Amino acid sequence: MRRTMLYLPGNNPNMLLRGHLFEPDGLVIDLEDAVSASEKDSARVLVREVLRRGEFGRCEVTVRINGLDTELWRDDIAAVVSCGVSGIRAPKVESPQTVLDLDEEISKTEEKFGVTQGSTKIFCLLESARGVWKACDIAAASPRVTAILPGGEDLAADLRTGRSKEGTELEWIRRMLIVAARAAGVDALDTVFPHVTDDEGLRRETAFVKQLGFDGKSVIHPNQIPIIHEIYAPTEREIETAQRIVEAASAAAARGLGAVSLDGRMIDAPVIRRAEYTLVRAGLSREKV
Amino acid sequence: MEANAIKTAQAGTLESMDCLVMITEWSAGRLVEVSGGAVVRFKASMEKHINDTLDALGTDEPLRISVQDNGALDVVLGARIEAAYKRYARLAV
Repeated sequence: MRRTMLYLPGNNPNMLLRGHLFEPDGLVIDLEDAVSASEKDSARVLVREVLRRGEFGRCEVTVRINGLDTELWRDDIAAVVSCGVSGIRAPKVESPQTVLDLDEEISKTEEKFGVTQGSTKIFCLLESARGVWKACDIAAASPRVTAILPGGEDLAADLRTGRSKEGTELEWIRRMLIVAARAAGVDALDTVFPHVTDDEGLRRETAFVKQLGFDGKSVIHPNQIPIIHEIYAPTEREIETAQRIVEAASAAAARGLGAVSLDGRMIDAPVIRRAEYTLVRAGLSREKV
Repeated sequence: MEANAIKTAQAGTLESMDCLVMITEWSAGRLVEVSGGAVVRFKASMEKHINDTLDALGTDEPLRISVQDNGALDVVLGARIEAAYKRYARLAV
């Protein structure tokens, strides 16, 4: 599950060591915008050591590296992939070639440090009109790509507008990215809601992106986590229906049947997968890896 | 009058769970100084961790290492020592 992925500044020991205690589904350790230029080297060492310590509860741990247009990203990859991090969040991805370059560097690093080939996933941040336009090709460029995400501030600037509370400037982009993500078979994760004291605004935006089909949101404050989890939690009726679907499918499989009918409706593989995911979100089932 | 510059590098902060490490050139051997609230109880283990970290980095240069601690765990102390030493090593002599 990737309902919430909490950003942690890469040079802040307090947050790095305690972020998982707020129980987001994932952590995004940030070596990019949250770290000043003069502290990049120190943050990289700190993040590497905290990753080696490896105490993150059940969180999926990813690292936002510096952009491929900098001289920093290869050192970032070497430091964090060697520690077996789950994924790399790559900023400002604008083309499939960027993904291929990243894939090649990660592959070399995995081989060098004895990390299982292909185990380090890529999360692509699309922070320009060019990147959004090529979203599906970017998402399909490598089997490592596991999610695409719209940018927030950078994308608004590239569109020659600004962020609004209503998210008008991102509405069409969100609709486009969900289609691109599903076409490529990856997750769609939404950008952060920057107004950390506006709980109602966060509820509205989260409900909207959930209805579009997004798998979750990036988070910049721990207080946002329970709100988003609450909105992503299935209703009692959804849980009951999901349980009946999974039970019916299980009974059919035991009898050697490929398809089954429930309440007059054919239950096929996508319906079963969705029901299983509902039970995961309800905390009644463990996610299949 | 000509002043001699002293080679100095630092890393870390005085924020909670962090420490500020300063490394300067020294006349002979290695001098480790630690200060902060936890020093009374953990001085020996902190000094050992600092020395182990510098040994692992392969340095036998004469150094003075000053650490102001604000509750840093060993993982943070080691990272700040490594960052400060690597900055020190990059400085022109």
